[in-house]
Amino acid sequence: MGGRIRGLMSGIAALSVLVACGGATGGGTTTTTGADIILGAPLSLTGSSSKEGGLAKQGYDMWQTWVNQQGGINVKGVKHKVQIKYADDQSKPDISAQLTQSLITDQKVQFLLGPYGSGPTASDAVIAEKNSIPMVEGNGAAQAIFSKGYKYTFGVLSPANKYLQGVIDLAATLNPKPSTIAMLAADDSFSQEVAAAVNDYAPGKGFSVVYNQKYPNGSTDVSSLVAAAKAKNPDILLNSGHLAEAIAINKAAKDLQLNAKLFAYSVGPSTPDFVNALGKDSYYVMDGSQWTPQVKYKPTFYLSVADYTAAYKSTFNTQEDPDYHVAESTAACLALQKAIENAGTVTNTDKVRDALASLDVMTFFGEIKFDNRGVNVTKPMVVEQIQTDGKHHTVFPSDVADKQVQYPTPPWSQR
Amino acid sequence: MSEAAFSTQPSRTGRRIRRAILIAFLLVVVVVLVLPLTLTQQAADANLDPTTLGIDFAINKSIVRTETTIAMFVALAAAWNLIGGLTGYAAFGNVAFFGLGAYTVGFLTDKQHLSFALALPLAPLVAAAFAGLIGVPLLRLRGHYFAIATLGTGVAVGEVIKNLDVFGGATGLFPPILRHADALFFYLMAANAGLAVVVTWLVMRSRFGYGLIAIRENEEAASVLGVNTTAYKVGAFALAAALTGLAGGIFAQWSSFIDQESVFPIQYNVQMILMAIIGGAGTLFGPVAGAIVLEWLILSLAGGGASAVYAQMGLGVLLAVTVIFVPRGVVDFFGGSSKLSLGYFRRSLRETSV
Repeated sequence: MGGRIRGLMSGIAALSVLVACGGATGGGTTTTTGADIILGAPLSLTGSSSKEGGLAKQGYDMWQTWVNQQGGINVKGVKHKVQIKYADDQSKPDISAQLTQSLITDQKVQFLLGPYGSGPTASDAVIAEKNSIPMVEGNGAAQAIFSKGYKYTFGVLSPANKYLQGVIDLAATLNPKPSTIAMLAADDSFSQEVAAAVNDYAPGKGFSVVYNQKYPNGSTDVSSLVAAAKAKNPDILLNSGHLAEAIAINKAAKDLQLNAKLFAYSVGPSTPDFVNALGKDSYYVMDGSQWTPQVKYKPTFYLSVADYTAAYKSTFNTQEDPDYHVAESTAACLALQKAIENAGTVTNTDKVRDALASLDVMTFFGEIKFDNRGVNVTKPMVVEQIQTDGKHHTVFPSDVADKQVQYPTPPWSQR
Repeated sequence: MSEAAFSTQPSRTGRRIRRAILIAFLLVVVVVLVLPLTLTQQAADANLDPTTLGIDFAINKSIVRTETTIAMFVALAAAWNLIGGLTGYAAFGNVAFFGLGAYTVGFLTDKQHLSFALALPLAPLVAAAFAGLIGVPLLRLRGHYFAIATLGTGVAVGEVIKNLDVFGGATGLFPPILRHADALFFYLMAANAGLAVVVTWLVMRSRFGYGLIAIRENEEAASVLGVNTTAYKVGAFALAAALTGLAGGIFAQWSSFIDQESVFPIQYNVQMILMAIIGGAGTLFGPVAGAIVLEWLILSLAGGGASAVYAQMGLGVLLAVTVIFVPRGVVDFFGGSSKLSLGYFRRSLRETSV
């Protein structure tokens, strides 16, 4: 008995030494160093979008490491190191709101970085608003959040309605020019915004949408949809949905010999899983992407595109390029950092909000400049294509592209 | 184990302990109800810059938010108890009423620009009307068939609403934000929870309530004795729906963003049933105690990553253990005549095994 208690006591002693050490390393003091800036990030680290939540966390962590290596955020000559407090919202909007309030009240976070997904982003935006705490988010593209007059939420990504516009702009330059579009869309908020924008935008560019159909989010039996689209003989097959649906639609298009000249899906083709699942059948397929490692932006701040990609690979010890979820999350941090520097204050959150509203900065992710709703409308989406070398290439807009588009897609029988 | 463990007659010390627990409980309730009043504008702003005031407040927005959520689940569990506990019909789709109430308020405030005060009373009415409508055919089913049919209804209502563009479609609805109203939403949720308990108390003391219990124990016999079983069952179902719909209506304005995912979550069905059963289905305070303890646990574990996942698994195990060993719920040890002992578990195991 006595031995067990002694063991317990020494365990507690060891633990308190550890805690004390942790406390000591936290707050280094030199003359130019101010108090740490505490940021809060509710993120889906478990639950249905845990994979994407993990990618967002990588993006936040990369910036945190970098900025602390620089000594912190420079506010009028005083450097403030950054701590990010994470909370796992289990991919649930109500839990995310609860945790956001707890981060603000209990953890005393001064600014918020966004959660993953349009649902949690919407419920957290309400909390940010009620507490007058600025939130910069990089992972909720549905625009509805930004149409309610909220003042404290800023999104660095191109909004949902831009996702397939680049593909349409590209298609308008092609020869032979395609003229008809079949549009398939999942029934979630993001995918519906993407599809609605195609229906609005395409006629003005000389296309007619000959087939337009909504399907339940998560459908994998899509053969009847694809058969109905084939009956209209479209030049372009568009889908706005997710990875699983994009794979299913591409398979069905091959089975049913739907020979469109151009295939483009909002989400899916950018991931390695798409190429792994479909092999050569994935060639020629395009997607709209927030960012690719090939873009040629000339940042005035933070890392260059090539350095970012290299830093990602060494930080996470991987051969894979950073996914755009990682890049957009880092970009959210950059916007916040620049706004704090421009505002020249850490404590006056309203001044930082105003600095975000008037921000205009070129980063590796593209230009970040918010409209009066808080949406970044300046940065274009890029179009990416899986080419016959089995690799992803950026093909549009031409000033950031690394390869010519491969067009038209040959019929399935000749592949 | 002594013989006393098997005694069903509470001892004098037992009564004293129960009285002490009751007084402590009432004190806690009073403190919980009064503290949010101190959440003044000044105190609310203190979480922006606490140093300016130099006071650490006993109450803050985060605690009030937790209490509001707990009060919401007290109402949901107590409402479920009316149909699931008293009437004995395992309703697995009550989240449909929560969602309908939420969408009623969401639609009227966001799309019709009605004020929250005018929209809220319609939430329980819409939910109760819907329960009356589906109750007539569904309550003819028994056992598993009723459970599955209600589960299906709960999912279907959410899917239908998600595909109607007038209700915001997949995007959802955004009731305008009410600022500095944290205490208001807490009191609304707490009032609804109190209402649910009072309604349960009144029902349990009425002819209506005895009819419901008779239906639970033996529906044919109740019918022979002159209980209008259909009217009673539909009445209990609609009453549960009204209380659940009211909670949904308050939630919609409180969260200022609702979509199918946030107000028709299937896990709410499981949670409210779990709370009622662990606390004590068919009793007055069982669902209240179950809701307070379980939701407090869920909220305190949230945000911890793996611990929240283990907690979800733990809830499943807890349900199984409760149903087998404590079928009358934990309140049986306080208000009832049973003592927590090994003998109690042994007797329960005999009762619940085939």
